Amino acid sequence: MRNPVLLHKTASQVQQELEACIGCNECLLACPALDEPLTIDVLNRETFGGPISAPVARFARSCYQCGACVPPCPVGLHRDAMMMWLKIRLYRSGEED
Amino acid sequence: MRQDHAGHRAPLFKGAEQPSIDRADIVIVGNGIAGLTAAIQARSFEPDARIAIISDQNHPTINTPALKQFAVGKLTREQLLAYPPGTERQERIHLIHARVEKINAQSKSVILANGSAFGYGALLVATGSTPTALPSQLPGRDFDGVLTLHRLQDYLDLRRRLSEVEEAVVIGGGAHACETVMGLLHWGIHVHWLIRSAVLLPRMLDETASEMVLERIRQAGVTVYTSTEVIGIVGRVGSVIGVVTNHQQFIPCQLVVACTGTKPVTTLAKHCDLPLKHENGILVDDHLRSSVRDIYVAGDVAALKNPLTGQYEPRAQWYAAVEQGRMAGAMITGHREAVRPFGVPWHATHLGDLSMLYVGNPLQSPSGAYVLTDTSRGGYRRLLLQGERLIGYLSLGPMQPDSLAIKRIIDEELPVRDILKGLLKGEFDARQYLTRRRTYTAQDLVTSGRLASVKPPTVQTAAQTTPEPAPATRSLAPAAEAAQLEPRLPTTEQLPPLSTGPVLAPQRAPVAAPAGNAGPRYPIVHEEEEISPFTGTLPALPEQGQGRGQPGTRLNSGSLPSRPEQERGGRRNLWAYSDPALPAFPRQSPAQRQQVRAYNEQREGGR
Ligand SMILES: Cc1cc2nc3c(=O)[nH]c(=O)nc-3n(C[C@H](O)[C@H](O)[C@H](O)COP(=O)(O)OP(=O)(O)OC[C@H]3O[C@@H](n4cnc5c(N)ncnc54)[C@H](O)[C@@H]3O)c2cc1C
Ligand code: SF4
Ligand code: SF4
Repeated sequence: MRNPVLLHKTASQVQQELEACIGCNECLLACPALDEPLTIDVLNRETFGGPISAPVARFARSCYQCGACVPPCPVGLHRDAMMMWLKIRLYRSGEED
Repeated sequence: MRQDHAGHRAPLFKGAEQPSIDRADIVIVGNGIAGLTAAIQARSFEPDARIAIISDQNHPTINTPALKQFAVGKLTREQLLAYPPGTERQERIHLIHARVEKINAQSKSVILANGSAFGYGALLVATGSTPTALPSQLPGRDFDGVLTLHRLQDYLDLRRRLSEVEEAVVIGGGAHACETVMGLLHWGIHVHWLIRSAVLLPRMLDETASEMVLERIRQAGVTVYTSTEVIGIVGRVGSVIGVVTNHQQFIPCQLVVACTGTKPVTTLAKHCDLPLKHENGILVDDHLRSSVRDIYVAGDVAALKNPLTGQYEPRAQWYAAVEQGRMAGAMITGHREAVRPFGVPWHATHLGDLSMLYVGNPLQSPSGAYVLTDTSRGGYRRLLLQGERLIGYLSLGPMQPDSLAIKRIIDEELPVRDILKGLLKGEFDARQYLTRRRTYTAQDLVTSGRLASVKPPTVQTAAQTTPEPAPATRSLAPAAEAAQLEPRLPTTEQLPPLSTGPVLAPQRAPVAAPAGNAGPRYPIVHEEEEISPFTGTLPALPEQGQGRGQPGTRLNSGSLPSRPEQERGGRRNLWAYSDPALPAFPRQSPAQRQQVRAYNEQREGGR
């Protein structure tokens, strides 16, 4: 198992990664857990704040942090870390309900 | 800021004031990523300001770099969008489809192509860049089949042509040329790549790195010609049939793609009634202010001072455009506390099947600096160090390192002595290094199963931010020796007490992103019909219920009723283009197919 600590990035790091994302979709193409069409624009916008739509929530739940999305990224970003934020946000929104 | 006759500056934004339809508090020229990012950022600070984007682009903002993936059919047009459909409308950004011809800075207005004036409180020029054309005296440059690839339309045109192309010539020695070569190769086209200099990307790669990339590209089946220029393009009945090089060689082809660089679109600086300083781009200070009051510049068109050379030059890259857009939005609305310094130059991309990372100034040689290189792990790394500080990092290899973490190490002047070997060998887990001091929450999360203690990713204000303490250093060995030290790979163990050692460099506390209202806001969600302002030309949705606007129509998107998230449809009928995505059917010889397959397999295997 990957060391869980490695999955963690700070808020400013995740935001910086989202800003540097060129939207090439390579991470999603490599992801074994994504089983419905989802576009980067929606995923990126919902990762950091605001309401989480049902498809993004489903994806966030099914992401099992395998890291397959990281090597194909031409920019060297960590979709797994971004997904971790989404998971946390989802968890918290569930908690608030 | 608006000025009254006495020259006093009046507040730009007054909630109650309703500006007329022919002016806006913030006017942005260009809906590339810099323009749109600035508009969204400005909106987050100023809920009541009137914000307008005027652009001659006939489609919404796209992830321009992803056009490469579009070129090889990995993405559809709908997947190119930079923001979800309707974002502009949600953010109440007025979109005006028109070309801006000039700036009347004295009367604070811009003149559109139809002659009408549009007033501004503050103006952002985000007009981007345009490809440098082939030299005007080059014979045959206008033949059909000679292209540049810069905009979506260019890529649509390329994809339409692919089925007729067996051999292509790509001209240029930059990343764009390299990506174009790989894209054409993907379709089984035999590519001749002509590079004027002896090396690829001479401003970013040294000879070793350049040769590494070129060698792999040759292995993939591309014919590479270095130190070679085109002196003429040959055609028959108006279409390209080949090119002639300065070595008097004729190369047959049906397509010529010129990737000879881009230049900033500075026409508005030339057509401004006050001197808007420009050379290679419009000159701005490090807060993106131009030489004319209330005119800001961001993105590919902005020329910033390179601290190392003292020269003004554009940083024509995606991340730079996003960062500049954010800064411009903050500056225009007077939120200087939200301004983050840009830090050192940074570029991360694929060159062929290798990942290239360029941070800081790895090719410079300032006094007192020294270079370390390494070629292990099938890659190449070049580190430029000054004392204990890393000031430049170039890496090339099958895997991209944590590129932004390395930028952070350089920007924040973190000491690298303990991690030097890892950096050099490409084994360094920068993410762990940078975050281990902040991982206790995450550890808690994973080990206790309690997620509640983890704060959601809110953006912090500068005031809220506790600057990360500079890592403790033990004794300081001379830096040159450090390279030979045993690798001290970062572990998850706790750091020794932070105050024990001298701090190497004064740590510039990262100016964190601004508070809640500073990040993009994610407000109401609307029904698809309402949020699709791009069914025609760019601004084409006039006030609700009306027909499609004409270019130059002014549109008040106003605020719209909100809809629950569940009602949002999945349709994305936002494109003006009626032609469906073109399936390209490249013709490949069996040998070419074999070659491409072998190459792809090797590439997959290498991952
Ligand atoms: C094919 C391609 C691949 C790329 N790949 C990468 C990559 O991998 N990594 C990377 O970092 N960068 C890459 N880039 C560069 C990156 O895309 C740009 O730096 C970035 O998109 C610049 O954004 P911008 O908003 O400044 O300008 P642009 O996107 O050029 O937008 C400028 C806008 O202004 C409009 N405009 C211009 N003049 C006027 C006028 N007078 N009136 C009205 N409107 C006007 C234009 O129509 C356009 O909409 C690539 C660029 C291209 C073209
Ligand atoms: S870490 Fe999550 S998002 Fe990334 S590939 Fe694995 S499942 Fe997909
Ligand atoms: S692969 Fe990287 S750059 Fe491309 S969409 Fe994913 S995170 Fe963004």
